[in-house]
Amino acid sequence: MSLLGRSGGGPRRSAVGVELDDIQATVLRYRPEPYYGTHVMLHVDEAAAGRELLRRLAPYIDSAADWWQAGNAWTAVAISYPGLVSLGVPEDSLESFPETFRQGMAARSDALGDTGPNDPKRWDAPFGTGQIHIQLSIFSDDRAKWHRAMETARQQYQGLSGTAVLTIQDFGAQPGDRNPLGYKDLIGQPAIEGSGVEPLPGQGRPIKAGEFILGYPGEAGVPLLMPQPEVLGRNGTFVGVRKYQSRVGAFNRFLQANGQTEQERELLAAKLVGRWRSGAPLTLAPGQDDPGLGQDPQRNDDFTYAEDTHGRRVPFGAHMRRMNPRDTALAQLADVNLHRIIRRSTTYGVPYDAAALTEHDDESPHGIYFIFLGARAMDTIEFLQREWINNGNFMTLGDERDPVIGLQDEAGIFTIPEEPVRRRIHGLETFNVLRGGEYLFMPSLSALNWLAELSG
Amino acid sequence: MTTQQSNDTEQQAEKLRELFADAPEPVRTALENAIPDMQTRGSAPPLESAGRIGKRQGKVSELTMIAPVAPDATKRLRTLLEMLGGNFDGAEKVGTVHDMRFVFLDNDTKLLFATAYDGDWDDYISDFATKIPDLMDIVFSAIQGWPGIRDPSIKDFLVKYQIPADAWYVANPDLTVVETRRLQRVGKALDEFLDKIG
Repeated sequence: MSLLGRSGGGPRRSAVGVELDDIQATVLRYRPEPYYGTHVMLHVDEAAAGRELLRRLAPYIDSAADWWQAGNAWTAVAISYPGLVSLGVPEDSLESFPETFRQGMAARSDALGDTGPNDPKRWDAPFGTGQIHIQLSIFSDDRAKWHRAMETARQQYQGLSGTAVLTIQDFGAQPGDRNPLGYKDLIGQPAIEGSGVEPLPGQGRPIKAGEFILGYPGEAGVPLLMPQPEVLGRNGTFVGVRKYQSRVGAFNRFLQANGQTEQERELLAAKLVGRWRSGAPLTLAPGQDDPGLGQDPQRNDDFTYAEDTHGRRVPFGAHMRRMNPRDTALAQLADVNLHRIIRRSTTYGVPYDAAALTEHDDESPHGIYFIFLGARAMDTIEFLQREWINNGNFMTLGDERDPVIGLQDEAGIFTIPEEPVRRRIHGLETFNVLRGGEYLFMPSLSALNWLAELSG
Repeated sequence: MTTQQSNDTEQQAEKLRELFADAPEPVRTALENAIPDMQTRGSAPPLESAGRIGKRQGKVSELTMIAPVAPDATKRLRTLLEMLGGNFDGAEKVGTVHDMRFVFLDNDTKLLFATAYDGDWDDYISDFATKIPDLMDIVFSAIQGWPGIRDPSIKDFLVKYQIPADAWYVANPDLTVVETRRLQRVGKALDEFLDKIG
């Protein structure tokens, strides 16, 4: 999502209430359009070498100062719990990290509902093995700038004895920035109080900074518990990475089986997400696509569900309505502002092909490194997985699951409210299979220096 | 029943006979009478963990807490609960609470709180802190040392006093509060429809 609206100029500024020059850029800076980048997974064998690596990298890790201005490529760094251990972080400090983070995403598979095809036993190496210690991510809006930033990063880690590169994954460079299933994605990020920019139309009231950045009051009025010492925790946040393989063939077969014409298939694809593939929301464009609306950040998220209380535009089970119910009357008490996450998804592999229909297409490597950030990212993703993704109870949908990222069994159902009676589509498959995941900590720039200067 | 299952149930029966060997004779007879029934497996879903603590069968979990009562808090809470007369609007809104039980124990020095609820232990505790903090604090401030529902350490505080059940049985393990309400609405609508065509 770009902040620079077609129908507006630059973003409207507001007061800054957080230490932008200490917070990593990725926490606040939106993924650019177009986007190019790389994730590098590193392993630390020797504490001293790991700290040397952080020392070398630190000057190239970007802060969130002036994050709203499009600029150069930027580099982000995040560290797993085994990574903190391997860097020699003192025991009392390690113990101050949340239990879920210390266990790691693979060990939390029960809490996340990562079973069957999503079971960590089936993940791609090195995910879930405890080997991933440091993740570097480079983002850019330009191919040449991306290559330069990547070369700079490479010079810091390449051949550094006592550390090792595990995997390198390029991402982005997709025509129209579409995701693996052909949708424009990452519309509708949470607005953050004190971040320095006014919310976009429809973004809702700004959420307290402490929900996304450690050290500030959250929605309950008090800061969340944070890792100690304060220099380590403050201005940091937690990150989750989930690597999905998109089963494009299965998705296309599903559309073919349930839509007679191209128009019917596109409407069904829109009902699953709540937006046409162009990004235009069904609330504002219920009958047919409006690509101009989809492109316009000043308009494409500017709606509530006040006029759609029966779900006849956006079904209650649609991905977008599940992940951010806005003003939907929920069957269970929930604070919709507590379960928001910052998303920085990155698509990899060959672009979406509407003609891909075979099971072979399901396995060709393309998908998403879904990246989410928040001061309680582990709690949030575990809540979302249990309650809003692999469950339908909160929307009175029984056992229905999220049609895009849910784990479906043979009886997968999707309900589309219509007049006079609802339509239920059976045979929903798992369209995105989990192939890896990690919980990481994204330290502030001063925490990065603190880690680099550890002794012992 | 497979041979493996048959062997398992036979082993369980043997284990029970050993355990009850010291029991009075009528109890041992009762056990022998009951063993054939106990060997036919019911269709109840297996017991699972309700997350951090407690048990869950199907979609319904149990929570039992026994906590010391703050000085002078007994009278306040008891009178408040009497005035409410079973009318818990907050719990109604929560939409996951099947029942709640408040019992003062040991000369009113301890409070037993027990509830059956849908889902996992800590999914909604942060939501309570922002959506119904006053209701939570009014009731649970009766517990000695209650830090307040907004306190970031609240989950650890609650866990301290929770005692996981040894056994847990739910008659309709797949019926959440939400689903029960839906079925009531569907039943009513169906009756109205049948009244019209009948």
